[in-house]
Amino acid sequence: MSVRRILVPTTVFASVAAIWWLAGRAGWTNAYLLPAPSAVVDALSELTASGILLKHTLVSLQRVLLGFALSVALALPLAVLMSTSRPCRAVLDPLLEFLRQVPPLALIPLLILWLGIGEAQKLGIIVLASFFPVFLGFRGGISGVDPKLIEVGRIAGLARREILWRIVLPSALPELVVGLRISLGYSWRALVGAELIASSAGLGYMIIDAENLARTDIVLAGILVIGAIGLLSDLLLRIAISRVFPWLSADLEAARA
Amino acid sequence: MLELSDVSRHYQVAGRTLSAVDGVTEHFPAGSITTIVGRSGCGKTTLLRLLAGLTEPSSGEVRRDPSDQVGVVFQEARLMPWLDVADNVAFPLIGRLDRGEVAARVEEALMLVGLAETRRALPVQLSGGMAQRVAIARALAQQPDILLLDEPFSALDAFTRRKLQRTLVDIWQARRRTVVLVTHDVEEAVLLGERVIEMETGRVVGRVAIDLPFPREATDPAVVDHRRNILARLVGGTDPLP
Ligand SMILES: Nc1ncnc2c1ncn2[C@@H]1O[C@H](COP(=O)(O)OP(=O)(O)OP(=O)(O)O)[C@@H](O)[C@H]1O
Ligand SMILES: [Mg+2]
Repeated sequence: MSVRRILVPTTVFASVAAIWWLAGRAGWTNAYLLPAPSAVVDALSELTASGILLKHTLVSLQRVLLGFALSVALALPLAVLMSTSRPCRAVLDPLLEFLRQVPPLALIPLLILWLGIGEAQKLGIIVLASFFPVFLGFRGGISGVDPKLIEVGRIAGLARREILWRIVLPSALPELVVGLRISLGYSWRALVGAELIASSAGLGYMIIDAENLARTDIVLAGILVIGAIGLLSDLLLRIAISRVFPWLSADLEAARA
Repeated sequence: MLELSDVSRHYQVAGRTLSAVDGVTEHFPAGSITTIVGRSGCGKTTLLRLLAGLTEPSSGEVRRDPSDQVGVVFQEARLMPWLDVADNVAFPLIGRLDRGEVAARVEEALMLVGLAETRRALPVQLSGGMAQRVAIARALAQQPDILLLDEPFSALDAFTRRKLQRTLVDIWQARRRTVVLVTHDVEEAVLLGERVIEMETGRVVGRVAIDLPFPREATDPAVVDHRRNILARLVGGTDPLP
């Protein structure tokens, strides 16, 4: 089972690389527009050796982590507040619903005017892009709590607040976790977008800079790194979650089936 | 004090009014053990929920001493999926008793239902019968003044069921709290009840005092007699059961 989980994706990636390489060999693709895999690997090792890749990666990672953390810190209390208080819901729901319809990209000009082109603007974009999946996931989880479990709490004589803490919030965790994973992915996309537009460091900047220098190999190398870090961070998040909440992990279901 | 006076509970189902419980007046003496028996859909769960205060009566009155603690074993296990077996049993006790007392009660209750070895398992890892026993342990650990059980042994094999029926009787004899147990198994009703209440389409249609000492044996001719009589009345010739 676990062998297949590694083998299948590896084969898929290797096949794509092979087709890519063959296409270049056969002269179907233009070496400038789509450099051979070997050229991209060369670019990667060149960027690694010079420390440029590490520098840009660290800048991007820091932004993503900060923005993601900010999003989560905003979304969790707000979701609880809006799930438990009717007045808060009445006031905030229309505003948030409106904001949700506006793509974060459309707000970039405004963010640049308000926050400049520094770190605050990058964080702003990440927060806008990653807030809603966590927020909506948690709220969905909260409102989806099984009323039969709440009755168990009522019979045990729990107060409203205890029912919230001991039944409602834990049972909202699975949906929150899905929201967290989506949010982390959105954070990455939004960040690279922000760095493409106005930035002097970060992986997005590295790509746009390479494009200006006609270095397609570096552009592709940057894309590979972004995708790889995205996959890796999702994997780490999943591992962390299954450590903290073992009952969420799918293996338990499999063990029972 | 546990009393129903002319209690009804109606539901609107597909535009029609359905009386799940229909004009029931019943007194459950403190420290008594009563069983309620009837066919599927006759209103047993609804009656138990009215006693627990989980369902409001459409008319009539449910009287229960507000200081009496109620424990319920629901028809489904209703375990918290994020808590292991021991923590599920401890759930109603946390914040009411100190840690040592909670641990002792949990251990005792798990022993009684035969799950002491399974205390660290998660609900997804349990069989249906094991989950049901955890739910029983959770209610027992509470040591409630009023214990309401809704078909608590339905998912158990015959041996485990016999054993837990005995356990329940032992606990009741030792503590003398009020127990109301719902079942569709007439034999179980006779084995466990000082009194058996027969229900049909929301109404109480019969009350039988079972004046036999505990523990009772299913093979005891008096038990068999009661069982046959109740079954005959409930089937009422409308159903071709043997
Ligand atoms: N919440 C509800 N809404 C609508 N109808 C309900 C509801 N609860 C119960 N009923 C109806 O009331 C009747 C009695 O249901 P109840 O669950 O009390 O039966 P029961 O005797 O416990 O049956 P079983 O032995 O199958 O558990 C049924 O016809 C059922 O459809
Ligand atoms: Mg029922």
